[in-house]
Amino acid sequence: MRATRKQILGSIRGTLCLLASVSTAQGYAFNVIVPDVRQPFSVSGGSACPVRAHHPTTPGYLAFRWSTSLGTAPTTILTQDQTPSGRLNEIEQIIQQSLAVWTNVSGTALNPSWLSPLTRVSAQNACGSDGINSICFNQPDMGFTPGVLAFTRVIVADRIGIQVGTGPVATELGQILDADIYFNPGDTFVTFATPQALAANPKSYDFESLLTHELGHALGFSHSNVWSAMMFPFAPTPGTFAGARPTAQQLDAPLSDDDRTGLRVLYHDPSDSTYVGSIQGRIVPANPLSLPAAPPGVTGIFLAHVVATDSISGAVVAGSLGGWSCQSPGPAQFDGSYEIDGLAVGRSYNLYVEPLNGAAGPATVTNAFLPLCRNSTTDPGWPPLQSCVVPAPDLEFTARTLP
Amino acid sequence: MKTRLTYEQRRNFLLTLFLIGIVLIALVARATTLVRLTFPELVKDSSAIAHVRCLDSQALFENGEIWTDTSFEVLESVKGNLPAAITVRQPGGKLAGLESRVDGTPQFRGSEEAYLFLAAQPGSRLFLVGWSQGTFRLHKNPRTGIPTVTQDSAEIAAYDPQSRGFTKTGVRDLRLDIFREQIRREMLRQVP
Repeated sequence: MRATRKQILGSIRGTLCLLASVSTAQGYAFNVIVPDVRQPFSVSGGSACPVRAHHPTTPGYLAFRWSTSLGTAPTTILTQDQTPSGRLNEIEQIIQQSLAVWTNVSGTALNPSWLSPLTRVSAQNACGSDGINSICFNQPDMGFTPGVLAFTRVIVADRIGIQVGTGPVATELGQILDADIYFNPGDTFVTFATPQALAANPKSYDFESLLTHELGHALGFSHSNVWSAMMFPFAPTPGTFAGARPTAQQLDAPLSDDDRTGLRVLYHDPSDSTYVGSIQGRIVPANPLSLPAAPPGVTGIFLAHVVATDSISGAVVAGSLGGWSCQSPGPAQFDGSYEIDGLAVGRSYNLYVEPLNGAAGPATVTNAFLPLCRNSTTDPGWPPLQSCVVPAPDLEFTARTLP
Repeated sequence: MKTRLTYEQRRNFLLTLFLIGIVLIALVARATTLVRLTFPELVKDSSAIAHVRCLDSQALFENGEIWTDTSFEVLESVKGNLPAAITVRQPGGKLAGLESRVDGTPQFRGSEEAYLFLAAQPGSRLFLVGWSQGTFRLHKNPRTGIPTVTQDSAEIAAYDPQSRGFTKTGVRDLRLDIFREQIRREMLRQVP
């Protein structure tokens, strides 16, 4: 399948016409929630269509703090500078650098002015549901079992007006109210090293790669199925790092185009006129009888991986998860729809479609598809007309292109 | 000329494949928040291993965080002594208008069966060892009816820079009897 600029612009027109009421499967992939339509219209919006988890893009809105309490048995973060203040400065520099990776992508509303200055806190247990985004290196958590290196807890609002701790009150559906990043302090075999210290500590994990990935979760990303993406669900092996290091010339160098496209979709810059292309379509089986009988109403392939590549360079520009659409008041319809937005206009793209059984699988993107539906089983009292059941991902289809 | 393998030969062949898989697991350390555990490590780090059936899930607020407690009926305790019903806690959940999300935590559907590798944390709460790595879902082959297990983390492929390809590791569609035999052997091997 090939989309020219004309086709893309045509898609844009279509998108604009339907923007107010229709959403479709978009990938890269995002954390989604369904607003709680049991609540009054004024706080739920009345629609059971999934919305993406995100932060408001008000300047200075996003604040992060980090706990200077560092583990000692073992030392969780290894640095080149061993002096107490030098150590903290080295860690802080990497945190700032990792944040800058995400705030220096062209064509998004996330520019450096969106970030409040990074702050330090000495408390060991600085992470928690308090409405303050925190990064912790020495906080035990019951979630850490053997084999767990780090994780990010993201708290999302499914209605307007709620608040976590002393954080901001939700003014938007899907607003992220708290995002905390935990690094495992209790595993004697696991350490993290700053880029400066990595070569001397080849058994350590690259702190910058892991933090940049976790910050992607904190911004609302789930996982990508594009292997070169920062949000691909693999950490680099010890002693190595993912992608490239940021440079003064290219602060977002660690990201792939898939990450950048996802960010442009998630935090669209209304003044941008370059990355406004969109390709949409449906993936349907040649034989409709191959569709699952349950749940009822499935009319297309669910959770296909749709990838757009640059037709000249062949580089992957974006990958998306197809399979559903939604028109207000919902619920989601599993009709095989996909949509890849945030594409640069004036270029041609090739598309390919594959089952989600390659480099990654459904288990790595559960937050992008399991929450698409709510019903009386998951949420007592849920209105039947806005209920649905998420079908099982279709992992065994073969694809062919129709002219 | 075709040669039919005896049951013993087939079993040994499958066991060999399984052992190769274990070696492959040991070679890679991947996944966004997870470090790959070998099968012997999984068995060793688990205070209990059980064949369970999912009953229901409930979110709760404790220690300032949202957690999800999933209750399971224990169909068989393979390691450790578990009661007839257990509750496994995982970070994240949906409560009072808030959704706490943690990527990489397995989610279970009602009446689904699985083998879980469990660790007891302070307060005797049960958690999944290595999250998706300690979750082996039970399926029945629709054609043969033979039960098999697939590890949640087995979906995660490892990139091999030399071949520029991906290798899937972990336990995928392994016959249940082979899987159980492997757990038994590993437990015997680890007896002090």
